[in-house]
Amino acid sequence: MADHFDAAAAALLSLDRDAAPDAALLADALTVTGASISTLGDFLGTETVAASDDRAARLDELQFDLGQGPCWDALSAAAPVLEPDLLGAGATRWPALSDALRDPGVAAVFAFPLVLGPLRLGAVDLYSDRAAPLGPVGEEQATALAAILSRHLLRRALRAVGQDEGVDQGSRFSRRVIHQATGFVIAQLGIDPDGAHLLIQGQAFAEGRSMRDVADDIVARRLSFAASSNGFEEVR
Amino acid sequence: MTTVNREELLLDAFATLADTLVADYDVLDLLQTLVETCATALDVSQVGLLLSDGSGELELVASTSESSALVETIAIGAAEGPCIDAFTASRVVSVPDLGDGAEWPAFRASAAQQGFGSVVCIPLKLRDTTIGTLNLFGEETGVLNDRDMKAAQALAHVATIGILQERALRKSDEIRSQLEFALNSRVVIEQAKGVLAHTHQISTEAAFDAIRAYARKTRQPLALVARGLVDRSLSI
Repeated sequence: MADHFDAAAAALLSLDRDAAPDAALLADALTVTGASISTLGDFLGTETVAASDDRAARLDELQFDLGQGPCWDALSAAAPVLEPDLLGAGATRWPALSDALRDPGVAAVFAFPLVLGPLRLGAVDLYSDRAAPLGPVGEEQATALAAILSRHLLRRALRAVGQDEGVDQGSRFSRRVIHQATGFVIAQLGIDPDGAHLLIQGQAFAEGRSMRDVADDIVARRLSFAASSNGFEEVR
Repeated sequence: MTTVNREELLLDAFATLADTLVADYDVLDLLQTLVETCATALDVSQVGLLLSDGSGELELVASTSESSALVETIAIGAAEGPCIDAFTASRVVSVPDLGDGAEWPAFRASAAQQGFGSVVCIPLKLRDTTIGTLNLFGEETGVLNDRDMKAAQALAHVATIGILQERALRKSDEIRSQLEFALNSRVVIEQAKGVLAHTHQISTEAAFDAIRAYARKTRQPLALVARGLVDRSLSI
């Protein structure tokens, strides 16, 4: 299991910037029946990025249509949402979803948020065809893989809209300020330079501003990510 | 400053630079020492050292003040001003009166705002290779006296040798990598300034002073201390 996890982490980390991640790899690594990866909400739009099988795709689609389900809850709480018994004890949580998933035999669902600092990107959905908890190791590994995926999806989205130049934007002087702002974010969220830089880039894109503008606000202490109590990465 | 004093300072400076060349040394520390020495021993008030990134753009890697005003003035001079001209032409560009002349209006305005009356830009070159410029700002107008000019050029030569190293001269891509190392170190130092500025709620200038003081006290390279702060293995 650890081998599968390492392999999945390595595969995700070495993904080509434009490539879609492989959801089946996630399912294998986390020993669940299937997995799907989706972007959710206004920032990157709501769509399935990858699904390991038809049931995983259906699980996503249902949640999009119903506007409820673990992926939405995970994203808004910026925390994992675990339902090991969707058709039994947990059937009252999202009744319409449970009803629709009875026939396909989706018995357990686990959703992990895709977030970077305050940026809400999407979620990973895992399902099992038998009712059983994911377990602490599985939760930890899923969280770690979700953190890698978050960065990948954000980079991919920024690249798609031509905003991936990052620090190369602007003058030399701008870059200094952006590097300093990166340092502020490192200290605020306890993440690595790469993630901090990406967060500034994502924030700039979300607000339709330049990285230099956002960096100026961070260095002048008009903008801080430290206040947000949830949603930052624990994986370095 | 008395003549004896100045001579002693210059001698000390050459001795320090020579020492760094024989021992294991850090390029960035060498350059920081150089700019500080110039400001102390020569008749100038602020000094900044620009290095080429290989694409023809100059980046500030060491300066006597980290104030954003000085950094910006030098950045403007590196984009359109005497600094880039000295680099491109590989010769000294002396501007004895910043208030008198039509060239580089943005640079003149920025320099004047900080109370500078004159500037001298000295190329860092060895044989056919020019790698950057040493820029000396004076509060008074007028040309730099012969003595100081000679001393500044000699210091620039020693620094250039230090940056390039004997062995690096054999291959141009090694020159490139040595420069890249210095420039990347500067990125990490900017990030470390941000980390410390947030952690202690101080200005980025004060953060740099703290990093520099700590590096000196513990006899470690500036870049190493900065890296420790950024990867959070060190807190000061």
